[in-house]
Amino acid sequence: MANTTDQAAPETPRVADSKEAVQFRLARRELAETSITVVAFLAIYVGFGIWTHGIFFSVAARLLDIHSSVPVLLLGLATLVTLMVGQFDLSVAGIATASTYAVIGLTVKQHWPFYTVIIVALGLGVAVGLVNGVLVQRFKVNAFIATFATGATIAGLSDVYSGDTFLGAGTTGPQLPKWFVAFGSEVHKAPNWLIWIGVVAVFATLFVGLDRVRPPGWAQTRWLTTKAVVMIVAAAVLVFALRIWEWVNGVSWLILFLIVVGLLLGILIRHTTYGRHVQAIGSNPTAALLAGVKVRRQVMKTYVLGGVIAATAGIILAATQGSATPELASPLLLPAFSAAFLSTVVLSDGRFTVAGTILGGIFVTWVGVGLVTGGVNPNWVNVINGVVLIAAVAISTAIRARR
Amino acid sequence: MAGSYDLDVSKLHKSFGPNKVLKGIDLTISEGEFVGLIGPNGAGKSTFIKILAGVYEASSGEIRLGGQAIRSLDGHPEAGFIHQDLGLVDALTITENLCLGTAPKRRFGPILDKRAERRAAEQALSRIGLELPVDTLLSSLTPAEKTLVAVARVMDRGARLLVVDEATSNLSPVDARRVVEFLAATVKNGSTVIMVTHKLSEVLEATSRVVAIVEGQILSDAPTKGLDRAALVQMLVQQETSGHGNLPKFGDGARETLIELRDVHLGNLGPVNLRLDAGEVIGISGLMGSGIHDIAFVVNGTLKPDRGDVVLSRSGLSRAMVPPHRESQGGFGELPIGANMSITALQRWRRFARLIDPRREKQDSEQIMTELSVKPGFIGTPFEVLSGGNKQKVIFGRAMLSRPDVYILCEPTRGVDVGTRSEIYRLIRELASQGAAVLVASSDAEDLFAVCDRLALVSDRQLQPLRQVSELTPSELEMMV
Repeated sequence: MANTTDQAAPETPRVADSKEAVQFRLARRELAETSITVVAFLAIYVGFGIWTHGIFFSVAARLLDIHSSVPVLLLGLATLVTLMVGQFDLSVAGIATASTYAVIGLTVKQHWPFYTVIIVALGLGVAVGLVNGVLVQRFKVNAFIATFATGATIAGLSDVYSGDTFLGAGTTGPQLPKWFVAFGSEVHKAPNWLIWIGVVAVFATLFVGLDRVRPPGWAQTRWLTTKAVVMIVAAAVLVFALRIWEWVNGVSWLILFLIVVGLLLGILIRHTTYGRHVQAIGSNPTAALLAGVKVRRQVMKTYVLGGVIAATAGIILAATQGSATPELASPLLLPAFSAAFLSTVVLSDGRFTVAGTILGGIFVTWVGVGLVTGGVNPNWVNVINGVVLIAAVAISTAIRARR
Repeated sequence: MAGSYDLDVSKLHKSFGPNKVLKGIDLTISEGEFVGLIGPNGAGKSTFIKILAGVYEASSGEIRLGGQAIRSLDGHPEAGFIHQDLGLVDALTITENLCLGTAPKRRFGPILDKRAERRAAEQALSRIGLELPVDTLLSSLTPAEKTLVAVARVMDRGARLLVVDEATSNLSPVDARRVVEFLAATVKNGSTVIMVTHKLSEVLEATSRVVAIVEGQILSDAPTKGLDRAALVQMLVQQETSGHGNLPKFGDGARETLIELRDVHLGNLGPVNLRLDAGEVIGISGLMGSGIHDIAFVVNGTLKPDRGDVVLSRSGLSRAMVPPHRESQGGFGELPIGANMSITALQRWRRFARLIDPRREKQDSEQIMTELSVKPGFIGTPFEVLSGGNKQKVIFGRAMLSRPDVYILCEPTRGVDVGTRSEIYRLIRELASQGAAVLVASSDAEDLFAVCDRLALVSDRQLQPLRQVSELTPSELEMMV
C-alpha cells in the first residue's frame, strides 16, 4: 500500500503548487514589498521629525515640498514612459525649457491668445518626440545620443528665440492669465470634498484588494475580523499620528493635477492595448514583435507621449515661476531619472511604475529637505541624492538577479 | 596508469525542475576510441555534453578522467571541446586566434613577441598536419579549415580527448567529410574523439563505436563495425511512433487555400513553394540551420522574402506564431501568465474609451489555461517561474486566444515532457479540424509523424515537394535527414 502511494506521488501536483497557494504566495510577496515602502516612508518622516525636534513634522512644509517638485515629478513620468519600452529620452529637460519659453514668450512678446500658446507648447513636445522616435526607430541612431542631441537642439533654439536671457511679464503689457498663475501657486488649494472622495476611494479599494492576501483555509468571520482590525488601525494611524485632515486640506491644485496625470497614465499603461504593448516591449521586444505587436509604431508613440509630458512639465514651470530662464529645466534631469529608477524599487518587483516614480521622487526630495532642515550643509544634498539613486538601482538589479 | 585519460561516466542524472532529462548515463570511453553519439532532438545529448563541458552541473552521478573524480572536463587541458560555434574571431589571423586566451609571449614590457607567436602557431598547425599560412585572416578560410584551426587550438593546449559537438552540421558535405577524415586521423595518432552528430553517414564512415541516447538513457552502445544505416535508424526510432491514439483528421474535400508562397527566396534559401490550406497540417523539417524557421517567419509575415511572393487569400487574414525559442522569442519573463497570453488578442476585449475589460480578458484567458492545464493554474504567476512545458503551453495559448486563420508552430514540443507532447499533438489536430491551416516547422521527427498530413524537407537549400505522411515510414524520414 505504501508502495503505491510512493509511485503516485510525483503525478499529483504538490499542495504547495495549487492555484490558491501560488496566488496567496504571490500576493503576500506583493504585500511585503508594499509594506516595506510604507515603512520606509514612515521611518523617514518620523526619523527626520525626531532629529529636527518636530520641525520636519510640519504638514504644510512637506506638502510645499511636493508642490514645488511637481515639475520634476512630471519630468520623471516623461522619462518613465520611454524607460518602460527599454529606451532612453534625455531630451525631456530641453523640451521642458523650450516649452516654458514658448508659454512665457509667446504670451508676453508675441501677444498670442493663451490657449493657442498652450497648444503650441504641447505641439513642441509632440514634434521633438516624433523626431526622437524617427531617429531611434527609423534611422537606428543610439537613443542616448539621439535624444541628448535633440534636447540640446531644442533648448538651444529657445536660447536663440530669447537671446539667451530671462523672459517674463513686464509691469505693463500682456500678462499670463490670472487663473494660470493661481494654478501654479501653492496657496490655492484644491476643494476638500474632492480629495476626501479620493481618500475614501483608496480605502475602499484597499478593503476589497486585501482579499487577495487572505490565507487559504481561514474562515470567513476570522478573515473579516482581521481585515476590519487592520483597516481600523490604518485609519487610526492616519488620523491620530499623521493628522490626515491637514494633508487633505493642504493639497494644492498643482498636486491634484499631478495625481490626475498619474492616474491617467496608470490607466493608460494597465488598461489599454497600447499600455500592454508597452509592457511587453519593455520585457522582450523580440517576443513582442512575434506576438504581433507593432513595436516600431508603439515605441514612436512612446517618445511622443514622453515629449508631451515633458512639455506639460514646462508649462507647469511657467505657471510656478512666471518667467523663463536659460537652462531652466536642465538641473531637473537627474532627479527626474532618479525618480523613474526609484520606481523599480518602490512598490515594485523591479518594474518601472507610475506610482513608484511619484513616490520615489517625493522620497528623494524629502530626504534632501530633511537633511538640510537638520543642519546638514546643503552642498551635500546632491551627493546624498546620487548615492540614493545608485543604491536604488543596485538593489533593483540585485532583486531581479535573485528571482 | 599515469597520463591515462580514459573517460568514465557513471549513473549520471540531470533534472530541470520536474523534467528528468538524463536518467542514468553509464559510459566508459577508453583511449583511442572514436565514438559517435547520436539521438533524436531533446534526447539529452546536448545536456550530456554541457555537463561534460561544465555548463551544467549533474544532479547526481560521477565523472572520472583517468581514474580521478572530476566535476567536469572544464579546466582540464587534456580535454578539448569543438562546438558548433567555434569561438574563433573572423577579423583576426590564425596566429592571433591561436594566441587568444594563452599567456602572452612578450619581448619586453607590454610589447608582444610576434615572431615567437608565429612560430608557435606554425608548430600548432604542423602538429596536426595542417598546412596553412599562419598570417591568413580567419574570414578567408573555408568552414572546414576554420573547424580544423579550432581543433589545432585545443590540441595545442594539450587536448587528447576531443568532444566535437555538432560541429559539422552547418558544413557542406565536402567540408564535413574533410573534418571527419581529419578527426579519424587524429584518432590513429592516439587521441580520443567523441562526436555528436545528426549525420548518420559520418558515424558509419569514421567512428569505431556508436552510442545512442534516447529519452535520457543509453539505448544502445555497439561497435560501428557491422552496422549499416538501417540499423542506426532503428536505434533512433524504435521508441517513436508507438501510437498517439487516433488523432482526428480533417475530412477531405475541397479546401480553401489561405496562404501561398510562390518561388520565395531568402538569403541563400530557395526557391520555396508552399501552400497552406484550411484544415490541413503541413510539416516542414530539416537540419539545424537549414532555414525551416526562416520559412516559418516568412509565412508569419515577420520576414520579408528577397524575391518571390507571399499570397494571402484575403486581406486581414490573421496569423499567429509559436516561435522556436520560447524564452528569448516567446515570453515576457516578469509579466504574469495572463498578460503573456492575451497580448495578441487584446482588441477582443476593448470596450468603452478603448479600455480593456479586465473581467472578460481574465475569463477567456483562464478558459484556455484550463483547457491546456497550465500549472500552476493561477493567472497572475510570472511567466519566468514556469517550467519549460508550461511556458510552451502559455505561448500556445496566446496563439489560440487570438483565434487566427493560420497557425505557424515552430518546434512545438521542444523540451516538453511526453505527457504534454501528446496533449499538444491533440490540440494541433483539433485546431486543424476546426478549419485552421497549420504549419509545423520542426526538427523533431516525432512531431511531424504525429500531427502532419503532409510534409516536406528542406535540403540543399530548397524545400522539397510535399509528401503524404501516410506514405512515409519513420526510417525513411530519418534517412532523408
